[in-house]
Amino acid sequence: MKTFLLQIITPDKTLFEGQVVQLTARTTEGDVGILADHTRYAAILKTGALTIKLENGETRTAAVAGGAMKVSDDRTTIITTAAEWAEEIDADWAERSRQDALAKLEAYKDEPDRHQRANLKLQRALNRLRVSSNYSKTLI
Amino acid sequence: MPNLKDIKRRIHSVESTMQITKAMELVASSKFRHAKERAETAQPFFNATYGLMADIAAEDPYFNSVFVHKRSDKTAVLLIVIAGDRGLAGGFNSNVLKMAQARIDEVKAQGGNPVVMPIGQKAVDYFARRDVKVLKTYDHIAEHANIYLAMEMAELVLDTYRRHESLQSVELFYTDYISPIMQEAHQISVIPLKNLADSQPKNRAVEYEPSPEVVFDQLVPQYVAGLIYCGIVESFASEQAARRTAMENATDNAEEMIDNLSLLYNRARQSAITQELTEIVGGANAQG
Repeated sequence: MKTFLLQIITPDKTLFEGQVVQLTARTTEGDVGILADHTRYAAILKTGALTIKLENGETRTAAVAGGAMKVSDDRTTIITTAAEWAEEIDADWAERSRQDALAKLEAYKDEPDRHQRANLKLQRALNRLRVSSNYSKTLI
Repeated sequence: MPNLKDIKRRIHSVESTMQITKAMELVASSKFRHAKERAETAQPFFNATYGLMADIAAEDPYFNSVFVHKRSDKTAVLLIVIAGDRGLAGGFNSNVLKMAQARIDEVKAQGGNPVVMPIGQKAVDYFARRDVKVLKTYDHIAEHANIYLAMEMAELVLDTYRRHESLQSVELFYTDYISPIMQEAHQISVIPLKNLADSQPKNRAVEYEPSPEVVFDQLVPQYVAGLIYCGIVESFASEQAARRTAMENATDNAEEMIDNLSLLYNRARQSAITQELTEIVGGANAQG
């Protein structure tokens, strides 16, 4: 299978940099799949799951917290504020963060700004929980 | 001849100062390593965001976003000034504050209206004492800064920009980390996105979903947040590097002072002994 160079970049780290066969991501317009030699393309990503297929057939899934995707001739770049591999997500921490977000949603009902921020936080937490439970490989 | 006891006391006082500067130097070095790493990992994120925006702007020569083109005949300027939370870091704080102050004076001289958003205790304190409007202050955030906080700041800045027609530009003042011994205060334009407006149209066919405008507008907050975040982590790395250098120099100076004082002390002690001996010998001779 033909491969292409993929970079997943966050402010804290470069989560992934290497050759992949296929990339599936959730954009504001719906799920898109990218293969090698895709046309130049750019889209806004929603908070959701992102799956890559490596040359050896292995698939890996990450939780991404929104951002942007850009396909150029020589590489594909994902820019996101946060991204973690499914198996690296700390489910307990995500759960605490979900509860914290819920509490904030309740507390900031009358403040649109903070309410909105709490809502985004909740989305991120839910996304992490979902990706973690659906995709992380069991160790047993 | 100086008093032996006085010299001893001075040596002690310099020694205890040296202990403090030495400890501060160690703390700064360990924080510096961590801060430098963070500043380096933030760079690709910012470059990628900027590259994507520049591509979109370059592709469409008639790009008409509110952020790209300068709005004329407006007078207010927002200055985001990043300094440290603590002092004792050589010229780190004063350099960046001086640069911001010069710009404020310039804006005022042109009849403009400067507004600041200070980040870091030292910047907050500085502008509280000056005759200048303050939008919002942030202190003690640099060490644990994250992208979400930067996003918050970016949204505040963009919101202010959209709401106030009089706001002409937003500028960021921070300290660029060049090397462990070199840090430089810098000023960059946040809005309008100056370099983008100047970039040459390349006319490449790229598919944007849902549209170039939406992609661009979604990227602007991320870009501004990236800029602020990079400014904060770069400044923090610079602060630690500057403090380490300053404390290293202070420790060296203290060592030199102790050396000189010890020499003085030994000389004084020797001359006291010599004098005593002369007196004893003189006394013995007089008796004999």
